[in-house]
Amino acid sequence: MYGWNGKLLRVDLTHQTISVEDIDPQTAKDFIGGRGLAIKYLYDEMDPRVDPLSPESRMIFATGPLTATPVPTGNRYMVVAKSPLTGALTCSNAGGIFPTEMKRTGFDLIIFEGKAKEPVYLWINDNKVEIRLAGHIWGKNTHETEDIILAATEPKAKVACIGPAGEQLARIATIMNDKHRAAARSGVGAVMGSKNLKAVAVRGTNYVALAEPKQAKELCRKVQTEVNRDVKKGSSLREYGTAYVPVVTNEIGILPTRNFQTGVFDGVEGITGYVLKEKYLIRAKPCFGCPIACGRMTRVEDPVYGGEGEGPEYETIAALGSACGIGNLAAITKANYLCNELGLDTISMGMTISCAMELYEKGHLPEEDIGMRLGFGDADAMIEMVKLAGEREGFGDLLAEGSYRLAEKYGHPEYSITAKKLEFPGYDPRGSKGMGLLYATSNIGASHMAGDLAYMEVFGVPKKLDPLSIEKKPWYIKHFEDVFAIIDATGLCVFLSIRYLFDPTFEVMPTRLMELFNYITGAGYTMDSLLEAGDRIYNLERMFLVRAGFSRADDTLPSRMLEEPMPEGPARGQVVELEEMLDEFYALRGWDENGVPTQEKLESLGLSW
Amino acid sequence: MKVSLKLFGTYRKYLPTSTQGSICSLDVLVGTRIEELQALVPIPTDENLVILINGRTPLAGQVLEEGDTIAIFPAMAGGCSFRRD
Repeated sequence: MYGWNGKLLRVDLTHQTISVEDIDPQTAKDFIGGRGLAIKYLYDEMDPRVDPLSPESRMIFATGPLTATPVPTGNRYMVVAKSPLTGALTCSNAGGIFPTEMKRTGFDLIIFEGKAKEPVYLWINDNKVEIRLAGHIWGKNTHETEDIILAATEPKAKVACIGPAGEQLARIATIMNDKHRAAARSGVGAVMGSKNLKAVAVRGTNYVALAEPKQAKELCRKVQTEVNRDVKKGSSLREYGTAYVPVVTNEIGILPTRNFQTGVFDGVEGITGYVLKEKYLIRAKPCFGCPIACGRMTRVEDPVYGGEGEGPEYETIAALGSACGIGNLAAITKANYLCNELGLDTISMGMTISCAMELYEKGHLPEEDIGMRLGFGDADAMIEMVKLAGEREGFGDLLAEGSYRLAEKYGHPEYSITAKKLEFPGYDPRGSKGMGLLYATSNIGASHMAGDLAYMEVFGVPKKLDPLSIEKKPWYIKHFEDVFAIIDATGLCVFLSIRYLFDPTFEVMPTRLMELFNYITGAGYTMDSLLEAGDRIYNLERMFLVRAGFSRADDTLPSRMLEEPMPEGPARGQVVELEEMLDEFYALRGWDENGVPTQEKLESLGLSW
Repeated sequence: MKVSLKLFGTYRKYLPTSTQGSICSLDVLVGTRIEELQALVPIPTDENLVILINGRTPLAGQVLEEGDTIAIFPAMAGGCSFRRD
């Protein structure tokens, strides 16, 4: 096989056995890889009603056929599992270097099942695989963990691990790789922790075979040249990272502010990209094989907020900043470092704290339960909450459950701004209607990465849509969900794909992505068969949700989004007209009015219950 | 008449050097349409960019009004434009 290694590693942690299996080439082609291939295995092997934190739960690390190839940004993997936060599927994506190294060991996927009797870590050294004891690392943060494991394996190895948050089954825990990159959403860190699996270390020296190396490399070079030319002219991502975004979303009136009470934050100029650049930036940092380099290596020199690491990203600045009413970038950056070290999702952490802040200010959450005051704007309290949540200490034990369970406990679940219990990212959908439909229908809950129409509604990439209009948004969301499933399945980064591998038209077709894919894998996709593969992945994920008990009733948004008009700004007066979009969306999807894929639809994709 | 101009992302470099934050003031003739604005701002004309008036998508031919806030930023944050040759 080309692109794909054609092999997966199966790790049974209960019986401490390791086995290697071949991947059927037709299955690989039908589901592409990464997120797609992982859902195929998960659906076939796991009962979707299983407790996500039980030994019967499976967790899959999945690279794509383009991971570790010469394609720029071919450096991603996905962690796919049933989520302990949402009860739905999760597919969390991360870059850095670990995914490339994992692909080079010769395995496309690693399937983890069972639970180890005591803490262990996995060490894959090309085709030599060992399960090693990790008792001496249990309790360590993600940075210490990586240092210890590299010393015990090989300095050139790469590590993915959980911190205290994942060990203690925080429902918002991440799996960190290369210290600063996060497979963040929906509590994948807790799934890993529930298996007593502390880390996975990999060292791989294989090269991925290419079907048509000359054409592949030529097209890669062409893409690389275009990116380099644009970076030279001026790239906001290179110069400011995703941190340039707060002023943009604020301008449109959709920057989450004080738990989404409004979309305009008057402290925005203090928390945006050029301030980060002036005050804290050491240098831009790329993931492996990326010419954009949107990552930020930063350092804060301050007696209280001092630290060093990667970030913060836009989502972090929104969640731990404006959503909490906080305009202090040093404090936000410190909170970001802590989340990375403890292994917490910055989005869910920030949005859970902001939920707690609203509950507190409205008198529903007593100060004695928290142990201190927790009003909007209190940066020191926010940082304390992060520390407590990361160790499940005091009030942190409840914060670690996520905003829905927190708000429900205090009698006001409506203050949890979530879909399927996953906290919203940094775009208030009342001012970006397509995002509203996305949050409601995504198979993992409110994730912008499931089909990020903000590219068009906010950033004009590749073309600008009116964010306040619902016209044609059902078509766009279905299309974006399918093409983002394809991107996630290939192992590429969205930042490169959506800008350079899709046609710059309103149809947004992945023409160059298809060409690259065919040169690398020799799979012979047409545009129809490629789009169909995205649709197939999406539908199989939906089938998993249906069998897990989800229905139309769950394809919804908080009442704030449906009934509370945005109070100010350019989106003033707006709500999300979800019901109007949902029926059209289901029809386009080929689902019945309950959001269940019809028999006809499934047969057309070669799927069956 | 006076309008406000905000430049985000890499377009910050076109702000007057004394600017605090992202906003500056611009003098335009009464009756200036949105399409005529790009000529008044020192951003190269081959750029793919997004223009907002008061945070909203402008209509074609929209006439600027006194006190409007115009925001401009690159349409492609990773790179400025996608060209297929």
